Amino acid sequence: MPFALANDLAVDSAMTLNQARVGCDMRIQLLDGPACERLRDLGFCEQLQVRKLSNGRNLICSVCGTRLAISRELADQVWVAPVG
Amino acid sequence: MSESASPETIALVGNPNAGKTTLFNALTKSIERVGNYAGVTVAVKEGEMFTPHGQKLRVLDLPGCYSLRAHSPDEKVARDALTGQLAGTPKPALAVCVVDASNLERHLNLVLNVIELGLPVVIALNMVDVAEKQGLRLDPAKLSEELNVPVVPIQANAGKGLLDLKQAIRHPFPPAAASPWAQGQEDPEPARRAMVARLCEVAVRRPDAHQQTVSDKLDSVLLHPVFGWVAFLAIMFAVFWSIFSFAGIPMGWIETGLGNLGQWVEGAMPDGDLRSLLVDGVIGGVSGVLVFLPQIVLLFLFIGLLESSGYMARAAYLMDGFMAKAGLSGKAFLPLFSAHACAIPGVMATRTIDSAKERLVTIFIAPWMSCSARLPVYFLLVPLLIHRQEGSWLQAAILFGIYSTGILTAFVVARLLRARLGPDKQPNHFMLELPPYRGPQWGYIFRHVADRAWAFVAKAGTVILGLSILLWALSTYPKTDSEESGEKLAHSAMGRIGHVIEPVVKPLGFDGRTGTAILTSFAAREVFNTTLGVIFHVEESDDEEATRGALRDKLATATWPDGRPLFTPLTVVSLLVFYIYALQCLPTSAVVAREAGSWKWAAGQFVFMSGFAYVASLLVFQLGRMFGLG
Repeated sequence: MPFALANDLAVDSAMTLNQARVGCDMRIQLLDGPACERLRDLGFCEQLQVRKLSNGRNLICSVCGTRLAISRELADQVWVAPVG
Repeated sequence: MSESASPETIALVGNPNAGKTTLFNALTKSIERVGNYAGVTVAVKEGEMFTPHGQKLRVLDLPGCYSLRAHSPDEKVARDALTGQLAGTPKPALAVCVVDASNLERHLNLVLNVIELGLPVVIALNMVDVAEKQGLRLDPAKLSEELNVPVVPIQANAGKGLLDLKQAIRHPFPPAAASPWAQGQEDPEPARRAMVARLCEVAVRRPDAHQQTVSDKLDSVLLHPVFGWVAFLAIMFAVFWSIFSFAGIPMGWIETGLGNLGQWVEGAMPDGDLRSLLVDGVIGGVSGVLVFLPQIVLLFLFIGLLESSGYMARAAYLMDGFMAKAGLSGKAFLPLFSAHACAIPGVMATRTIDSAKERLVTIFIAPWMSCSARLPVYFLLVPLLIHRQEGSWLQAAILFGIYSTGILTAFVVARLLRARLGPDKQPNHFMLELPPYRGPQWGYIFRHVADRAWAFVAKAGTVILGLSILLWALSTYPKTDSEESGEKLAHSAMGRIGHVIEPVVKPLGFDGRTGTAILTSFAAREVFNTTLGVIFHVEESDDEEATRGALRDKLATATWPDGRPLFTPLTVVSLLVFYIYALQCLPTSAVVAREAGSWKWAAGQFVFMSGFAYVASLLVFQLGRMFGLG
């Protein structure tokens, strides 16, 4: 993660989608990694709200009311913070 | 603008699951020609519609895509069609962007992409009812004002708003809108996203809280680590069980009808070559294949149901971990599942796989999924192994074993091949949209099924009809004076071919007659039964099972010249193994060559699979003999 951006996130709340708890509503802070373009096409855009629905080999989350399954490698490129 | 000249083209474009095809069907109504671009079905569909002023328009239904960057082949097709680079389809004069109103944040990005191409755009705001149910407040007028393009709220599945949409796409087309957000930007992507965010802010008001929808509740069971698998297995079992049991009834009708036709022709015509050609060659040959129409229709019906209800995506999700063991992803599940009906739609369905190498591997192994064309052969041979009658649990278990053998070998080969091909240049990770569960769209499913059924009937009417006549001629000419049917056959061209290839198939335990049947079945597997029927002179009866039974009795009593039985259990197993592995389907090879983009891949697949089949069958027979079986 770029240093400047990492600083912008509150230290205690920065985590990837993999580390988020199931059932929690999160806000996407930053996409960082080789697949970000693809993730944005799917709807993982900064400032959008995302809810993680399940863990596992591929995790399921919902963005804007749509359910998406993405692999853990992809989820590692999505940085989120709890809503509120 | 002359009416008689070729009508102008409009294209429907949108994300997957936006409802493009529903809208397409609603707009065109007529049964559309499924646009064969470069000879392949699916991909771009084409139809015609009329504006309220009676002007004819050509409508293209493009494959769903998230962007126009062309990550996967179907996205590339969509992009090429919009820019007029797709051979055979003219550049559209207008693009109708179909967007899911409940999902504007995600769908508008593609709309901006299309506007940037400089095409006139009309936005069809689909599924407004779903959006309203979710508590969204939409403002189409505001959206239209911001983008400077017409926006029409519709509900394609209920046919609402279609007239307004037709009004919007009548002549003169709206002018192409400017794309100020992309001006002077080297990479318009961030600007596009900012624009989407602004649009959603002014045109959509979303309630904050997530709600537990019906889909959520269903998914909590169907994607559950334990219950999900139970449901998956139950659904797959139900699908295959229904195909095998329900199809029997219409199969009986077809068999009876064609049997009666054969008897009627036999009674109405004087004895001679022409009667023999019609009864033994044409009717006998084609009916042996046409009886499988009900099974094919049912399989495609179930695949259509699973797809349109949204379950197929869940199955792909569940299977991802399992498929990873073979070096594939969950996205390979649907192609391999459909390959059980027929390898051709299976190979074509691999287009949704992003990774090029994974796609090649999936195409390579797809023909090892036991397709419906092998069923007649299995149904003929399996009862020969244990009982003479059809339909016992033991036979079902053997059939299950046959399917599993094909699948397991395919997975092992996939793993080896995937490792050899090396990783992709760009890593591709699993990502899949799980659409909300929807009721089946019967109109669409029926059209799809009718399409496949017609393709099958056309094949029976052309390729298999031609082969039947050829086979009949080969087994009839040159004639001899002898009255004994065995001598007649030995004298005929087919008998001579059999004599020539006998040394090749003898190590597998087959004689020249079986060898001839195998040889002819390289055109299409079903022909195996037809050929054996012709060689062993089985009378067509009005019952399919009885016909197979009669053939089976002849096979069971057939002997080598020295009196040993021809079909021992070991020979039958060897023959079954051969049919599991051999790639005996010319249309499949043609489609593989097209989809893989190289004849070498198709030729390599053919040589590998046929060689594998020969060696496997050889091993079974020779090892079996060493251990004193057969």
